[in-house]
Amino acid sequence: MKDLAPSIPKKILDWESVDQDVVYDRKTIYDYMDGGAEVYLGFDFRNVFVRKYQNPSGEEIALDICDMGSPGEAFGIFSCDREDPEAGIGQESEYGYGLLRFRQGRFFVSITAAGDEQRAEKAILELGKAVAPLLGPAGPVPDLLTCLPESGLKENRTSYFHAALNLNNRFFVASENILGLGKDTDCVFAEYAVSPAETEDLLIVRYQDEDRARAACESFLKAYLPEAGPAAAALTENRKWTMARIHRNYLAVVFEAPSKEYAETLCSAIRFPPK
Amino acid sequence: MKSPMTRRDFIRGTSFAVLGTAVGFPRNTQLEAPKSRVILIRHAEALDENSEFNGPVIQQMLDEAVMKLLDQSDPTAAFRLLVKPEDIVGIKSNVWSYLPTPPEVEKAIKRRLLDAGVKEENIGIDDHNVRENPIFVKSTALINTRPLRTHYLAGVSGCIKNYIMFGESQDAYHPDSCAALGSLFDLPQVKGKTRLNILCALTPQFHGRGPHHFSRRYVWNYKGLIVGQDPVAVDTIGLRLIMAKRRQELGPGEELPPVPKHIQIADTKYGLGTSDLNRIELIKLGWTEGVMI
Repeated sequence: MKDLAPSIPKKILDWESVDQDVVYDRKTIYDYMDGGAEVYLGFDFRNVFVRKYQNPSGEEIALDICDMGSPGEAFGIFSCDREDPEAGIGQESEYGYGLLRFRQGRFFVSITAAGDEQRAEKAILELGKAVAPLLGPAGPVPDLLTCLPESGLKENRTSYFHAALNLNNRFFVASENILGLGKDTDCVFAEYAVSPAETEDLLIVRYQDEDRARAACESFLKAYLPEAGPAAAALTENRKWTMARIHRNYLAVVFEAPSKEYAETLCSAIRFPPK
Repeated sequence: MKSPMTRRDFIRGTSFAVLGTAVGFPRNTQLEAPKSRVILIRHAEALDENSEFNGPVIQQMLDEAVMKLLDQSDPTAAFRLLVKPEDIVGIKSNVWSYLPTPPEVEKAIKRRLLDAGVKEENIGIDDHNVRENPIFVKSTALINTRPLRTHYLAGVSGCIKNYIMFGESQDAYHPDSCAALGSLFDLPQVKGKTRLNILCALTPQFHGRGPHHFSRRYVWNYKGLIVGQDPVAVDTIGLRLIMAKRRQELGPGEELPPVPKHIQIADTKYGLGTSDLNRIELIKLGWTEGVMI
């Protein structure tokens, strides 16, 4: 990662690099991120290069370049936290209120303003444009995303991750890990438009084997849908339907569907890969 | 596996009871206990038009809150019920760069400690160095103060989580969504010393993004302080405020910060205070516009 450092601009507009560049790895990342470290450690995070810039008023922006190990993992950390409009930087990006996030190849980059975001905006975007070409070629999204039905899929609302913490930050399900998620599970969470005003959510988990998928389904039904019965579906307290389906080593769960039929239709449209 | 608290429990509004059962502490053991009093005080001028903290108003808010908390009519008299002149007092603050404890709050606390007779040389304000700071090492009393915000792991950072710096290893408190934070109050340097908890809801943060879980767009000028002697009750009210704001701004599906379980576990497992809203006497003072809870 330090090889990148000489290529990264030391000055952007009137913002200049201050302090020493620092690289944090999986052990030392706690020194840098208060509470956020586990979110990154839920992926194949390798290290993060940090450079800070200040303007003449002493306001600060922080450049964080994370080596996520693979393009799929970079997509994952990027995808779990999307809320802003595309910024046209790197493979995929977003910018809003002093926070630029983008992915390029196996790298995930965030540039954050600590002070007035309007004063920092131009420098943040210029710095992002300068850094993106240094990060090598583009890379693919995780293959699990190909399972998602296309009809109704909401753009930029699909997240990829492995751990229960990342699921709960995206969509709180339970205080315990009732789906048996971990480093060896791949998960995709997507939102679907049912009508202009209604959505439903789809979670697909790929386990290492069918036994684990079956055990996870049982655990989920017991903890979350104890009344589900053989159909593995139930109407929850907010008048929405939740439904679980097993397919070999895959578990699919539809949350917040407006009707049982909608949930069934979505489950049936999942494009599981051939055995 | 313990019976988990699920999304459905929050929809039903029964999460507190569920978690109490989950860790095996029947809730009816506390039926005879007095309610924990929590003061929520707000003032429209706690921040000025430039969102700068208004020191005199914050002093007034703290005074009114502590007087009401302890049924006193004078702030110095109220603080004399909290500390003795011979006490060595550590003010456990929070220096997180994006949203620190406002210096105006620290100053207001220190002013009243001095008025109560505590010697200036026996008052310390610290965060990261509390394990080494001589005042904190020798302390006979602690005042706990920090801003209210969401947190990727713990769900909410409040008064309970503020003591993590007393732990030998902060990482040790991270597993299971920071479930064991309540045990910090049993550490020898801390146990039995906390006299007051002041959760700053002047500019709370209801959501977080990015590597540092911060964006100014998720901070709002609520202009409040949540004050009590029971840190669990104080954080419970703080959590309710965060949930109300998230529901308003992000929608019902986003009401929950990730897994706010450590607050209830501090009650049901560690006996630190109460997370049961039925056992909390919430007294609201001052500005009511946008109070939400």
